[in-house]
Amino acid sequence: MPLTKEEINEIKKILGRDPTLEELAMFEAQWSEHCSYKSSRLLLKLLPSEGKNVLVGPGRDAPVVKLFNDIVVVFKIESHNHPSAVDPYNGAATGIGGIVRDILSLGAKPIALLDMLYMGIPRNPHSNWLIRGIVKGISDYGNRIGVPTVAGDTWFDSSFNTQPLVNVACIGIASINSIVLDSPKPKDLILIIGNATGRDGLLGSSFASKPLSEDVDRDIGAVQVGDPLTEKLLIDSIQLLVSRKLVKYIKDLGGGGLTTAISEIASDHNLGVVIQLEKLHTRQKLTALEMLVSESQERMLIVVDIAKIRDVEETLNKLDIQYSIIGYFTDDGIIKVFYNGIKVAEVPAKELAKPRPIRRESNPPIDALKGLKTIYNTFPEPDIEKAILILLSSPNIASKRWIFEQYDHEVGDRTVVKPGYGDAAVLRLLDSSSRGIAIKGDANPRYTSIDPFNGAANAVGECFRNLIAVGSKPTAIVDELNAGNPEKPEHFWYFEMMLKGVSWMAEELKLPVVGGKVSFYNEDYMGRQVKPTTTIVGVGKMRNISEAMTMDFKETNSIIAIVGVTYPELGGSEYLHQLFNIEEGEIPKPRPASELRNARFILNAIKHGLVNAVHDISTGGIAIALLEMAILGELGFEVDISKVYARGIYRVDELLFSETQARYIVEVKSNRVDEFKSLANKMNVNVSIIGKVVGSSKTSIFNGSKVVAILDLNAMKDIYNNSLYREIEGGM
Amino acid sequence: MPKIAILKFPGTNCDEDVAHVLRNIFRLDAEIIWYKDFSLDHWDSVIIPGGFSYGDWLRAGAIAAKTFAIEKLKDAKDKGIPILGICNGFQILVEANLLPGALLYNENGRFICRWVKTFVERAKGPWLSLARDGQELDMPIAHAEGRYYVDEETYKSILLNSPLLKYSPGFNPNGSIYDIAGVATEDGMIFGLMPHPERASEDVLVPRGFRAGGRIIFESLNKSLKRGW
Repeated sequence: MPLTKEEINEIKKILGRDPTLEELAMFEAQWSEHCSYKSSRLLLKLLPSEGKNVLVGPGRDAPVVKLFNDIVVVFKIESHNHPSAVDPYNGAATGIGGIVRDILSLGAKPIALLDMLYMGIPRNPHSNWLIRGIVKGISDYGNRIGVPTVAGDTWFDSSFNTQPLVNVACIGIASINSIVLDSPKPKDLILIIGNATGRDGLLGSSFASKPLSEDVDRDIGAVQVGDPLTEKLLIDSIQLLVSRKLVKYIKDLGGGGLTTAISEIASDHNLGVVIQLEKLHTRQKLTALEMLVSESQERMLIVVDIAKIRDVEETLNKLDIQYSIIGYFTDDGIIKVFYNGIKVAEVPAKELAKPRPIRRESNPPIDALKGLKTIYNTFPEPDIEKAILILLSSPNIASKRWIFEQYDHEVGDRTVVKPGYGDAAVLRLLDSSSRGIAIKGDANPRYTSIDPFNGAANAVGECFRNLIAVGSKPTAIVDELNAGNPEKPEHFWYFEMMLKGVSWMAEELKLPVVGGKVSFYNEDYMGRQVKPTTTIVGVGKMRNISEAMTMDFKETNSIIAIVGVTYPELGGSEYLHQLFNIEEGEIPKPRPASELRNARFILNAIKHGLVNAVHDISTGGIAIALLEMAILGELGFEVDISKVYARGIYRVDELLFSETQARYIVEVKSNRVDEFKSLANKMNVNVSIIGKVVGSSKTSIFNGSKVVAILDLNAMKDIYNNSLYREIEGGM
Repeated sequence: MPKIAILKFPGTNCDEDVAHVLRNIFRLDAEIIWYKDFSLDHWDSVIIPGGFSYGDWLRAGAIAAKTFAIEKLKDAKDKGIPILGICNGFQILVEANLLPGALLYNENGRFICRWVKTFVERAKGPWLSLARDGQELDMPIAHAEGRYYVDEETYKSILLNSPLLKYSPGFNPNGSIYDIAGVATEDGMIFGLMPHPERASEDVLVPRGFRAGGRIIFESLNKSLKRGW
């Protein structure tokens, strides 16, 4: 988005003169929404980002959280929504590149990637093209750099047909002593390493800070192109430089390019900078302005003590990494940029780095009333068997195998719980201990579009439950808020409410929000905002990976129990959407107190070895959760849903498909049921024993003595495993 | 103690995984060697691990196959040094004509990461000395260009006399001809395979319904290097 008239006046005041063209470009890049968070900064302070394990919170390229006494996790989320709408392959690929470099900036080793993709209807030709391109972009890039893509989240909705949301996250680990937290000092050298700077992605963050134009081809020059081989060499060389203690500070050249990197480092450390642009290695002949704002990928800035420069050069040469020494730090707080001896910019770092925050107007739109509507009894109760089959074939529920099989999710030899087997991925640390880390990303665009506050809170809750279900202790989260145009009060309201929802729920669950990202202007060229979406990525610690839980039924005659209370909460459910095309009503309430109590119980039951399988109940309710466990375990079941502990429920569909929060289904070992019950009793948790796992391929749901649904596992297995494939590839 | 070189090119990404398994699981002496530093002198065996050497530019393995490191590796054949190529390593060995055939784009045109079942035919040589004919080995694959192709004449004249690894019925993931997952020279000295044995050497990484089928390859090497094959 170009600078406004007021902003240009402000720049003139800062400089005391008219800015040069180069200076204007620098301000435009850095003061873009994407780089400066000017619309969101005031509200972001609401997020609870502190905690005893938080070593570095928001502010650096990525936060650092203590996972164990000697091990830290460095993780962050990023969106590449706008580039992916224009060029899905390169847009998604470079999203991966950027988030990995954020993790490298702290000197950590990237060990896992996640992709949270909110895309259009697979049978719509345009969104089908987007889906294929996005997944292939992540596949080609992630696979090539040797970081496994182990988890994520997917949602298909027509509001994303032309503007998808591509949120990606990277998880890194490091020993607590090796993390790079030095500060640059005057006279330290500034190196740019990696890819040569070219003309791609010029002012890309400015492009991401406005709505899409009608003719997307006009925006194509703002999309960057990825080079995963160079990224892999960057990963290898940063590891080597860090292990030899040769660098003081590392920063990604991402949005805003060189301008953002130097202005943020200088401003954060009260330093100035002298840059000689002619030293920068470039792909073609570029002007000074282009070099300052190019967003060419696979470039990083490293700060090196002059005494160590020879060792650094030797390491980079050996690994065939290109580099240039482009300048040094000073103590005057001024960024001075020269090109062939001519000064092209002289700007105070602090003023450039942080534009004045903007307080945006926020107004609930009429649509906000959808979340307050009561919807009960406006629809007939359908045939339950048919309803189950429809839900199972929904792309929002069916197996995401078409996607995750395109990702190398095993490289690194760490992936213990693989995609499709558990509620979260579990990776071992591979440090000769039995310790591990659980990882998951979650969102529900329908919830946040109906009720942004509670919907965002539920995203936090779901991520928390998924981490619990595999047996890990949730440690911290990061968030990505994907919203519409902040200049429109009716769009900005969704952002404000989502942020407050995350903030409230995270505080209730005692989960620090250690970092995050905001993406505005997610609207199509008609000005319609996509479903506002809050994406949460969380990490949990595991002392012993051999206790990691998966969701598949494992043993005939074991007992099936539900943990938690079921309420009539069908608003915003997949059931109402798939069967009646209803997307309104009160969405399930966030229930932090129950979440904490039930989570403690689940972790205890796992620790005592009482359970074989654990699965969080979410989209599709009890019915779908049960079937997923049966399909994956290739074992049938018999349950009586009249035994489900519920309140205020009068209809079978409410019981089966309600998406009430804070619930789990567990498979209890047949010889440990008494212990399970007494533990629940002791911990004051509601559990209902509803049936057992059977050896046949029959799944039977009774309501007392009445048959509700009897379905054959093999037919459902085909629907669950292949529906998404058919939606994307065509065919019945 | 025998020493094993793990040959690393720009873009190789399974080097640390193979090193971990050799050192920590099978207690073998292994070292990751950057391709520029590679010479045959010190090594009793060479493994080319998986990844995307040179970013798969041109064709998978094509550029690495033209490096000095691979030229030197061609002498290993005469010196009797066992060579293993895993995934991209297999692609490199094929591109370097150290193994017959070609590896084409998967039938469905996509990258595939999935566990498969395979079995051994004519088990012999240093990499399969402990395996039985017909023995089932479960391992994951992770590749885009893994559809093995060979003409009928070569298959009948050469491969039918060589150790082979084949996908079990129903598990051919990519359309490989004759269900071939891996091929070796007639004496079994040079072995290339698309599945990843280093990801199938520890029970903790094996999903339900499968077994750690990669172990036998490294156990065979361990035995072979110490007591012959």
